[in-house]
This record gives sequence, C-alpha cells and structure tokens, in this order.
Amino acid sequence: MKKAAVAFIFYLFFLCPWAFAEEYKFEASEIEKKPYHLGGFGEFRPVLNVLDKNAALYKVKFYNQNVGDTTKEYNFRLQLEGSYEEGIARLFMRMNQDVNNTYQGWSSDGTLYEGFLSLKPSNSWVIDIGKRTFKWGKGYAWNPVAFIDRPKDPTDPELALEGFWAGSIDYIRSFEGPLKTFSFTPVLLPVINDEINGDIAGPQLNLPGTKPPSASNQINMAGRFYFLLYDTDIDLIFFTGGSKTTRYGVDFSRNISTSLEVHGELALIEDFQKTFIDQNGNLQTSNYDHVWSYLLGIRYLSPKLTTYILEYYRNEAGFTKNEVQDFFSFVNKGYSTYLSTGNAALIQKASALTQGNFGKSTPMQDYLYLRLSQQEPFDILYFTPAITSVVNLNDQSFQLIPELLYTGITNLELRFRTYFLVGKGNSEFGEKPNDYRIEIRARYYF
Amino acid sequence: MKKFLLIFIALIFALPAYALDGTQLLKQIDRNLNPESFEMYRKLINVEPDGRKKEFVLFSVKKGLDKIAALFLEPASERGRSTLRLGENMWLYIPNVGKPIRITSLQSVIGGVFNNSDILQLDYAAEYDVIKVEETGTEYFLLLKAKTKTVAYDQLKLWADKSKKLPTKVECLTEAGMLIKTLYFKQVKDFGGGIVRPSYIETDSPLYKDYKSVMIFAKIQKKDFKDEVFTLTFMPNMESLRK
Repeated sequence: MKKAAVAFIFYLFFLCPWAFAEEYKFEASEIEKKPYHLGGFGEFRPVLNVLDKNAALYKVKFYNQNVGDTTKEYNFRLQLEGSYEEGIARLFMRMNQDVNNTYQGWSSDGTLYEGFLSLKPSNSWVIDIGKRTFKWGKGYAWNPVAFIDRPKDPTDPELALEGFWAGSIDYIRSFEGPLKTFSFTPVLLPVINDEINGDIAGPQLNLPGTKPPSASNQINMAGRFYFLLYDTDIDLIFFTGGSKTTRYGVDFSRNISTSLEVHGELALIEDFQKTFIDQNGNLQTSNYDHVWSYLLGIRYLSPKLTTYILEYYRNEAGFTKNEVQDFFSFVNKGYSTYLSTGNAALIQKASALTQGNFGKSTPMQDYLYLRLSQQEPFDILYFTPAITSVVNLNDQSFQLIPELLYTGITNLELRFRTYFLVGKGNSEFGEKPNDYRIEIRARYYF
Repeated sequence: MKKFLLIFIALIFALPAYALDGTQLLKQIDRNLNPESFEMYRKLINVEPDGRKKEFVLFSVKKGLDKIAALFLEPASERGRSTLRLGENMWLYIPNVGKPIRITSLQSVIGGVFNNSDILQLDYAAEYDVIKVEETGTEYFLLLKAKTKTVAYDQLKLWADKSKKLPTKVECLTEAGMLIKTLYFKQVKDFGGGIVRPSYIETDSPLYKDYKSVMIFAKIQKKDFKDEVFTLTFMPNMESLRK
C-alpha cells in the first residue's frame, strides 16, 4: 500500500504532464483572435478639497455662496472601448461617461473620445478617418509640439483625452543603416461651424455681454515626419490653416544608457496674439511675430529602481508674472465691489477670464516638473509610491503630490493621492481655490 | 624523427578542429531556441510568496537579430499595450497615453522578476561574446560577456544540454559578479515546424526573495515580417498581425 502511494506521488509529480500544467495553464482559448473587442474601465474617485478662502480663484468660484471650509466630490467614470476588425478595416470607438456629485449637485457628461475607421492596405500604409487623438511630442508632462491635441493635465498626463475629427495617413519605411525608420503622417482637420472641431483653436474668451466667436468653416492641415536616426527619435511637425496660426515643431528622444533617456521639444508659433487684462479689467492684446515654446527632459532609472522624470518647460505664449498679478488684483477688486455693493459684474468678468485662460493648468511661462516613483519597495510587488511636483519658476509657487499606487489585484488599480498647493499671495498655486486636496481612485478594468 | 615531427605538426593543425567554438555553439543555441524570424504567444505569471498570481498574455513577433515587438492581450488593464525593441532602443505604447515612450531595459513593464530585456529578448549571440566554454558531463557551460555597456546584464553563465544544445539554466550577473536572477529552462516541447525547445522558463532572484516568475510559450512558428512592422508608427496596429 505504502509502495503504491509512493509510486502514485512519483507519477503525479514527475510523470503526469497535466499535474504540472494544472498549476500554470495556458489554454488555446486565451490566444484565440476574435474580430471584435469590448472593454474599458469603471472608476470611482472621491475627493476632499480643503479650501483657501483668501485665494483669488476661491473668490471667483464661490463669491456668492458659502460652501464651508471643505467640499466633497464623488466622481464616477465609465470608459468603454470597442473595436471590430474585418480584413484590412478596423473600426474603433472610445466613449467616456462622467457622473459627478459636487457642491453643485449631480451632473453628467458623455463624450465620444475617439471613433474612427482604420484601413491598413499594407504594413507600410495606414489610413484613419474619424475622431482620434494624435499625441505628438516626447514630453511627459507637457507637449509644446502637440498642435492637434488637447492639452494634457501635467499632474495626470496618462489620462485619455478627447480627440479631433481628422483624416490621416501613415506612411512607414524601414531601412538598413543609420536611418532605421522614416514615416510621414499628413493630417486634414476640417472645421464645420461649431459642430466639427469647433474648439480646435482652444478656449475662447467668453465675456459677459459679448457673443463668443463662432468657428467658421476651415480646412486645417498638419503633418509629422518621423525619423529613427542614429538611435534617436526625431519628429518634424507643422500645422497650418485658418483655425490657428501656422506653427512648426521639432522633437527628439534618445536612450543614453540602459537607464537614462533624454528628450526635448521645440515649437515656433507664428503671428501670436496674447490677450490679457490690466488690474482694472481692461482687455489688452500684444502681438508677436512669433513665440517659442520648448521643453527639455530626462527619465532616469536608478540602480535601486527609482524612476526620476525631470522636465523644464518654457512657454513664451504664457502669461508673465505681472499679467497674472494684474489679473489677481482685478479679481480682488471685483470681489470687494461685490461685497460692498452687491454688483457682481466685475467678478463675473474675472470668472469668464479664468476659464481656459488664467485658471487653466500651468498658464505662465516657466515650469519645472519632477516625478520620483519607486518600483516595488520593501519587496511589495505591484506597489509604487511616487511624489510629483510642478514648480512655477516665475513666482516660486508649487504643487506637491505624494501618491501610492497598488495594482496587485488583477484588473483593479488603487491610487491614493494628496495635492498640496504652496505659494505666497499673487502666485499661481497660492491663489488656487484649495490649499490641499485628497483623492482616492479605484479603477476596475474589464 | 621526421615521422614524429610530421605527427606533431598534424596534431597542431588537428587540435582546433576538436576545440569547442563557443561563438558557434551560442549561435546554435539561439537557433534551437527560436527561428530567426517568428511569432509566438507567451503567458507570464508572477507568483508571490503567499501563492498569489498575476498573469499576462503576450503576442510577440521577432525579425532578424535586433527587432522584436510584443502586444499585451491580457489582463484587461494591460490590453493593447505594446513594446518594441530595435537593438538597444525600447519603447512602450500605452493606448491611453497614445504615443510610444522610451523605456529602459532594466525597468519592468509588468512588475516582478522579468524585466523589459527578458520580455523583449534578442539572440544571446547578438548581445554577448563567449569568453569561456567548458564541457561538464552532459552539459556545456558558457560564460558570456556583454558586447556593450547598454546590455541589461553584464555577464551570463549559461548551462546547456549537450545533446539538444538548448539552455537549461542561465544566471544573470552584474559587472561585479553579483547575481541578479536565475532562469531555469524546462519542459522541452515540439512546437512543430522543426522547433523543439523549452516551453517553460522559471526565474527567481535574490533581489525578490521568495517571489518567482514563469514564462510559458505557445504557438511558436516561423514567420517573416516586413521591417515596417517594427516601427513606432506601427505600434498601435500590432493587433492586425494576429491571425
């Protein structure tokens, strides 16, 4: 009996093939290709904002209401994506649905982020028609050369963004020698009233009592030439058309060693017009033949598996320190007028100037971005603590974002973040409506 | 005396014919592991000390000595991501981010013991010189040294089965000789088309005590691809290569 048991155990562990396979299965069904695909994620993101009642942007946002010292948000997001493939054609769609509960109550917003038909007659040609993102540029937090994409949030640059309606072609060639790859991507972006790409020019000033400019019918053209030359990625980019002034860009990225990457972008914007206000709220415009915008960055992995991302961003199209201080002075004046007379005209004008302008992410000229993330410290698999900072070099204010990320449960991503906004009066981060913000994000992929 | 001299000269010329050619042997091991151009599926499993597992399924294509790309099929959180390696250049494409970003060989896109250079592995002979080769009983032992500083592991100790000329164990070391990880090649399987190779690689590392990672291979088949497939512009379209 004992012998039989030993023989059975021996068979089980050394001879029986499925005994081993049972532990780690790899079924044929796992790699079977289906013509369609459906997936996405559901997300819950509660947020606690601790408010700074003396800040200019607090006054703009809450001048006529008392919301207390803190506000809570419960944000829900469902992002669905699907594709169908038949022969050389592939149809792809990504939908985003947000449902938010804030101090203003419930709101919801559904947007088609991407939806396009892709035709691939050969490995050298890809034709895309529909709404899509391009994400040109090599920078992590900012992309001065991304002329046909919406600006990303430097504190969360990996979030999916809404695209623009476009027709594009990718032509790809490979070579032996120092030039390994060349590709050319011409893009046509039509603007049809406000319906199609009406917002391609970016946010427009919408002052009380004035009618916002309506987008006229236009055809815009953009293009990118990509070269992998001497192990360096190089892109040459252009945009021209009626919606925005002509602009040119160049970017590069290169691995210096197994653990160090350098990258950069340079953009030239022709005939640039900047609109700002003086401290009395009078609109001013400055015209420039051209302005430059550029970025330099590195990504470094230390022997202890800490990833450092450091970027310097210079944006001549941004506001100067004086222009921003004039805006804050105007806000304070408008708020005082409202408190003393009940007349909200000035503060409402300030509010209109905030959206997409002074209140947008990193609106000034010189910034530094630093992110340190530690891969799996203390042998905790799938655990990545990180700290991110965005520093405004013009006024020395900054944002500090410690973060804990855990992805150990299959398809579940848990992220805990705190945002500290630090700065003196009249500085960008010192005048944001909150002092700090606590956020938890639970995202489940399916 | 003349006879003795002739025998001596003959022996001098005959000896190299019997000496082991390490470089040739390494190239033979490479070819036995994979055809030069092929496609395959892999499942990567990270196993934690408490037995918890996380699995990834990848579709990979390789061409020539220095081109390899991989597409994540599972889990859902990674689906659509692809990685590309051209020599020492590596990129990761994340559908949400939308553009390929450069990554380094020592990072790991999946976490755990396998890093990017393990997932996007080129031929050993493309990255390493043989500096020592020995026969030990039923195995060959090869000591390999990285050709350049940009290779992930400075040295490899490779043990190979003498009759099959397939690796059985590889130790990956730093320049100072510190062990980073050990790969164990197991379960030799006939994949068809003349490809007979280990279907299972297990790895452990003193840097990840009590953790292990496993790579299971399936549907390895010879296939030719155009060079244009191995480009950044093509990365979002890798799914179209699967049949």
